[in-house]
Amino acid sequence: MTGRLSPRFTTPLLALLVLGLFLLPWIAGRYPVYLAMQILILAVFSLGFNLLFGYTGLLSFGQAGFFAVGAYGSAKILLAVPNLILGIAGGVAAAGVAAFLLGILSVRHTRIYFSMLTLAFGMMIYSLAWKWRDFTGGDDGLVGVPRAPIDIPGLLSISVAAQDRYYYVVLVLSLLAIAAMYRLVRSPLGLTLQAIRDSEIRTEFAGVPVRKYRLVAFTIAGVYAGLAGALLAPLENTVTPPIAHWTMSAEPVLATLIGGIHTFGGPIVGAFLFFVIKDIIVRYTEYWLIWFGVIVVALVMGFPSGIMSIFAQRPK
Amino acid sequence: MSKNFTALGSIVVFTVFLFPGGPAQAQAQCKLGVPSIKVGVQGVASGPLADYGRQIEMGATLATEEINAAGGVLGCRVEMRFMDDENRAATGVKNTRLLVTDWGANFTVGTDSSGVAMALGPVLAELKRIQFFTHAATQRLTEELVAAKGIKEIVRVSAPIYQDAIVAALLFKDRKDIKRWATIGADYEYGYVAWNLFKETLRKYRPDVEFVGEAWAPFLTLDFSPHIAAVMAQKPDAIFATPWGGEAVQLLRQALIQGVFDNVQVWWQAMGGSVDVLEGIAAEVAKDRFKGKLWATARYIHNWPDTPENKAFVERFRKRWARFPNYSAETTYSAFFIMKAAVEKAQSLDTVRVLGALKGMQIRNPAGVRVFRSEDQQFIYNVPAGRPVIDPKYPIPVLGDLKVFEAKDYYRNPPFTPVAITK
Repeated sequence: MTGRLSPRFTTPLLALLVLGLFLLPWIAGRYPVYLAMQILILAVFSLGFNLLFGYTGLLSFGQAGFFAVGAYGSAKILLAVPNLILGIAGGVAAAGVAAFLLGILSVRHTRIYFSMLTLAFGMMIYSLAWKWRDFTGGDDGLVGVPRAPIDIPGLLSISVAAQDRYYYVVLVLSLLAIAAMYRLVRSPLGLTLQAIRDSEIRTEFAGVPVRKYRLVAFTIAGVYAGLAGALLAPLENTVTPPIAHWTMSAEPVLATLIGGIHTFGGPIVGAFLFFVIKDIIVRYTEYWLIWFGVIVVALVMGFPSGIMSIFAQRPK
Repeated sequence: MSKNFTALGSIVVFTVFLFPGGPAQAQAQCKLGVPSIKVGVQGVASGPLADYGRQIEMGATLATEEINAAGGVLGCRVEMRFMDDENRAATGVKNTRLLVTDWGANFTVGTDSSGVAMALGPVLAELKRIQFFTHAATQRLTEELVAAKGIKEIVRVSAPIYQDAIVAALLFKDRKDIKRWATIGADYEYGYVAWNLFKETLRKYRPDVEFVGEAWAPFLTLDFSPHIAAVMAQKPDAIFATPWGGEAVQLLRQALIQGVFDNVQVWWQAMGGSVDVLEGIAAEVAKDRFKGKLWATARYIHNWPDTPENKAFVERFRKRWARFPNYSAETTYSAFFIMKAAVEKAQSLDTVRVLGALKGMQIRNPAGVRVFRSEDQQFIYNVPAGRPVIDPKYPIPVLGDLKVFEAKDYYRNPPFTPVAITK
């Protein structure tokens, strides 16, 4: 990690944090555990978004569409076949396929044109969720999505119906997703994406098929959004159309901006702050949007490169 | 770096000091052995439907103040916390988890949206907490989640969609001059079910009636002119309209511009008796631009019943908030007194015992007598339909020429048969 803090300091700190997360159900009440799941899900969602935005230079306003595909895919499978592995894998695969197909059309453009295309595709998915009542349940959504057991026929069957047990599913998958992304952004693929972000023309002249790399980044971001959505469906037991709305796409954008787009941990820290700040404010006023806005403006103005800019420099 | 930390510290300090909190004062004489009875309340408090959540909050606040001023519930002070569910199921679920598992709510009350209500059902079962629903109208909440699936933590105080649809069929079944009906419907389950229930009921009385047109307006529609033009092209005698809140006001104004009231005999605006709609069409009602053809109902109207209880409630509400109570205000206010009566009878806050105390309950509220039906845990009460008129006693239009139907005649009864929930 390129940063001002040395690994001698950060490694034990991260180990302690992970240990704390594993011990959370023993040391905290039900609501903090629920909140931790929400934060982890937004962190995974935001990490995928930042692969596009921070590492590839593409600002997508349509990630909620893939989040919803993951959530609806997972919910439909879990309502038909009560097997959590199938549900989550199916949701992720559906989001990946949707991202790949829409990515072929989206990555033909960059800058505002790319953003508008992704916004349009995201809202198309929102309309589908709203209108395709036979499949999605329309405005009432899909209700009663079970936290089905982790089931490998003939081998094991672990019940995760209790919230504390499901927390470990979310925690383990989120940590794996974070670790995979950490490796990815430091791999040749990740470095090539950063090269495309910094100079598309120079990278193209170096013989890199820029559009294909962008499509790969777009698909991976879709897979991460899908994983986040697939984890949300059993947590909430319900999936409804607003999760596909563009306002949902704004959440990873805000979380990433608050945390910092040029640091790996920025979206994760941003997701934490996003939820915690909102959670504090809504306890005291129903006019939370005003106060939340004031605090986000203060954070963005006070830390234009995100909160994580305190600790780290922009990766080379 | 130190400068950055200082800035971060300032924001944290600002947040903490801006939103201070403190433990509730214990009430020494509380017979339930708790510092207070906590009631979590939620509704839509942001966006274009925010007035409905605001009315829920006003009703809850007034009820809390009155109950506490009269000595609380079994000597226990009632503490209320209101939260905005943003009309989003995910936020509603998160709020409920926060209110119950973090704040320690003994009961929850409110919820405007049917979608949010349906999402809350399984969560309430998991948390084993009763919610008194005070606006969400989908019949599935009580018919499916309570009667069929057995989620007993759901109790509905407000009138469901039967009010919107079946009352209209009973009201117009004898109008022989109306043979062709069309709908301008809300393009989601509420609109579809209301129209289907209306058609199903009216066909029983009037096999000769035709349903000639349908136009569906999505949530947050601003321009209804294509919908109006589409159904008017079918030359209907009457319109059945289900957009609500500000959308209903917009729809009615555009219908006036397009001359609809010169060409139809009746316009049924399902929730048009809501205070925000009546306020919105006040100028048009004053000029009689609807020509007496506009009919509406609500889940409570403040000028009915003509009882001392209702008059006193409206007076207190106006004194406290300088507004008339909407139906979501009355239903929420009444939910608090239903909760109070049930806890006093159960002598406990335990969910099972309070549910037991609700059985057979008949309670006099501002809206009249509500009767608890155990099979679907729905409170049953009458609300009339009428025409918006100017009454010198009120600064805003009220529903007049009231037609009252007995709730037993228009509430669906268990065992429930499925209703089509598609267009």
